Amino acid sequence: MEQRLTRREWLATLVKALATLLAIVYSIPTLVMLVVPAFRRQKNPWIKVGSANEFSVGEPKAVTLSYQRRDGWVIRTVRSTVYVVVKPDGSLKVLSNICTHASCAVRWERSRNAFFCPCHAGYFDAEGKVIQGPPPRPLPEYPHKVEGGLLYVRLESV
Amino acid sequence: MRKLLDWFERETGLISAWGRFWTQPLPPGVGWGHIFGALTLLTLVVLFLTGGALMFYYSPTPDQAYASVQYIEHYLPAGRFIRALHYWAARLIVPLIIIHILRVFFWGAYKRPRQMIWVTGVLLLLTVIGYGLTGYALPWDQKAYWGTVVRLKIAEGVPLVGEAVATFLRGGDTVGAVTLMRFFVLHVFVLSVLVFLLVAWHVLQVRRMGVTPPGVRVNEEASVEKTQRLYPEHTARIAVGAVILSALMIWLSLVSPAPLEPRANPMDTAYKPHPDFYVLWMHELVDFFPPNLEFVGSFVLPALLVVLLLIVPFIERNPERQPRKRLLALSTGTLVLLIIVGLNVKGMEALPEPERLSPLARRGQQVFVELKCYSCHGINGGGGPVGPDLGLGGKRDPEVVRNLLRNPSAHNPHTIMPAYHLSPDKEAALVAYIVNIGPNSKMPPIPPTEPEKPASHFEENWFVNHKFEVRKDPGSCSDCHKPFFCQACHQNRRPSSHDAQWLKFHFGNAAERPEMCAACHSPDYCESCHKVMRHDTRWIQQHGSRLAQFGEKLKWAGQTMHQMCYQCHTPQSCQGCHSGALPASHKVANFLRDPQVGHGKLALKQGAASCNSCHQPQFCQSCHGLPMPHPEGWDSNHPQVGHKNPALCQRCHNFQEETCQTCHQAPPSSHTEDFRKEHPRRITDSGASCQVCHGRNACLNCHKTPMPHPKNWGETHGKLGQQRGWKGYDGVKKLQKAQCATCHDIKYCNQCHQP
Repeated sequence: MEQRLTRREWLATLVKALATLLAIVYSIPTLVMLVVPAFRRQKNPWIKVGSANEFSVGEPKAVTLSYQRRDGWVIRTVRSTVYVVVKPDGSLKVLSNICTHASCAVRWERSRNAFFCPCHAGYFDAEGKVIQGPPPRPLPEYPHKVEGGLLYVRLESV
Repeated sequence: MRKLLDWFERETGLISAWGRFWTQPLPPGVGWGHIFGALTLLTLVVLFLTGGALMFYYSPTPDQAYASVQYIEHYLPAGRFIRALHYWAARLIVPLIIIHILRVFFWGAYKRPRQMIWVTGVLLLLTVIGYGLTGYALPWDQKAYWGTVVRLKIAEGVPLVGEAVATFLRGGDTVGAVTLMRFFVLHVFVLSVLVFLLVAWHVLQVRRMGVTPPGVRVNEEASVEKTQRLYPEHTARIAVGAVILSALMIWLSLVSPAPLEPRANPMDTAYKPHPDFYVLWMHELVDFFPPNLEFVGSFVLPALLVVLLLIVPFIERNPERQPRKRLLALSTGTLVLLIIVGLNVKGMEALPEPERLSPLARRGQQVFVELKCYSCHGINGGGGPVGPDLGLGGKRDPEVVRNLLRNPSAHNPHTIMPAYHLSPDKEAALVAYIVNIGPNSKMPPIPPTEPEKPASHFEENWFVNHKFEVRKDPGSCSDCHKPFFCQACHQNRRPSSHDAQWLKFHFGNAAERPEMCAACHSPDYCESCHKVMRHDTRWIQQHGSRLAQFGEKLKWAGQTMHQMCYQCHTPQSCQGCHSGALPASHKVANFLRDPQVGHGKLALKQGAASCNSCHQPQFCQSCHGLPMPHPEGWDSNHPQVGHKNPALCQRCHNFQEETCQTCHQAPPSSHTEDFRKEHPRRITDSGASCQVCHGRNACLNCHKTPMPHPKNWGETHGKLGQQRGWKGYDGVKKLQKAQCATCHDIKYCNQCHQP
């Protein structure tokens, strides 16, 4: 009887061990597949804006960018607008057209020489600094680079 | 924790029920043969687990299903493994069920009171087959699509209900979005609910009636002493079996991932669906019947088999469980099994030989994928719709294939296939592979493109219609494709807009929509022609002098500036502007005549080409009657031309003796010493050639009378003296002496006039 009980105990341990092993083996890849991709960040690509010398000092120029963005298994063509500003020293600045106050789209007002947000009458100067109105921060600037005479910008979620 | 469990037990009693379930006693003969039911259940759990995980990422619409499966396969960590596990579990569950059924059948375990356990088991088999049939369609690859089409077609063949059932499953008259959603909902919801209910019924009934003691007569079961328990004795066997089965499934999933053929293409008629090996016996059955009775093989006989299985416990009422006492039942069962296995083996022989590739051809297959040959050519389907399917067309000659790769235009002047100049080893491998492709070859696995091809590229006639999309939004092509992508095909066949007149008119298009050019051409493409000549305001102001300056001297791509102008412009196009407003050079007073600043001087200075930039080459001839300025070799030719038509020279040149004498300081070679005597005979052109140098009055200067003598001179020469007022004999003498004697002897008159 003593021996039989031991055998049963041993079998019970075996069953528990094997069941745990199987549970781990099956659940780990499943969880990896479900959890890991959700925390993966997409790397923002450099998007071509255009020839770097087509911008000139003075008026900021609006450029509509069209680029591909992976949304799970769907590839979307996304369009967004940026303003390219040439500073008096000739260096470039790429500004978002989204107002920092309520995320409306700003536009360049030639008469006032400023970006104007139609939602709450915010004004930004040509370099994106707030002149007046409710916006709390200047217009966000995107990183850019010039390669082979072409201007590229990296859009970051702002 | 324990308190919580105690409370739960007090409230529900479920924990003790759970314990009772696992500790149920089992009869002594229960052993390794009895683990297959549990293994089937384990496989079902694995299918639920992996299927549930896949459902997080799968999208059951035709435009996204394939992309989402590719996403699972290529972008998700462990995605390929989970899908392979689902695939292999699905493949293994059917044999597991069949082993389980056979075990129950040969042990006689279905006999009363367990007949309904058997029936639910058969129903579970049917549900699992239903899972297989619906799950098959979900990846929406070629195999999924065509397999579904064929199966629904087979279902249609069943009389009376077949068509209605097929239409219901299809959700319409074609396999498409509605079909896919129906198959998806059947697969993940309807069948899952069914399977859940049936499994619960099946398992709980087994629990209630206990496991059949092997070899014991139906009415002697009560006397069997139950020596072991489900947990841990039998569970240990199950656990060991489960580990072995899991190891098998995981190993299979790792070495052989679930297949994924190219995306479903309803237009691809070259695709040949092959039946899976486990349904081959049904295909063999179908072959026994004439076409109008096909449904007997495809439906009636399999249905009869199912009915037979269902009613087994009701027709076989023999209470014995010892195999040698149930010979009739066992031999019938064995016979049916052998027939099915035999038919399947026969069907497998009819399957096409799998493709065998030599190492060289295998290398060639990689080159085929590397060069993306598949984007134009299919191999029995699955490729692009551009070139011919390589699975068709029979045996190929390696030499022909090699030449075709090197220069496709020689094979067919209208082809758009680009020429491939490969390294010798790559070429040899590719040729070996292409020669090897036959009617049973399959498209090699194609790596996913990044980014994924948009759905539009799979639309019917996309290849034919892509130009319209390019026109709508040329920028959208260049988002993914590099400019030279277009040129791969279009270097051999230009877009239809680029016809013979295109160069003349392209500027308007290029100015209005530069992005159209950029869709195919790289940004510096325009520069290759336009770098020297941009037609801006500055250019228009300067083009005259530039033409004059560079006309024939500079060359771009082998063309002179004038040739470049004429690619777009005709000489008349200059007159569009210059008809009223003459170029500055032409505004000089007396431009036509003035020898110093006039057109002649200009033409000499700048060359005829500068005239030709506006005027036709014949323009000079319309006045000059000669190519102007004088062509090469004129120096030696001009006497002949001048002799024929001296008036031509006189239009420009002033024929005073000194004009010719600027060159001809010595008399011309014809004027030999005795020329004065001989010249009447030598002048054959009525004196015209004399006039070239000597002027219009060349003869009169000496002869004082027209030379040679005009017509009717015989009658009129007599009046010559009278005109001069010389009368009488003296007058005649005077005339003779003054004029006739210059050439004629006095006796010459006596030939007519008697003295």
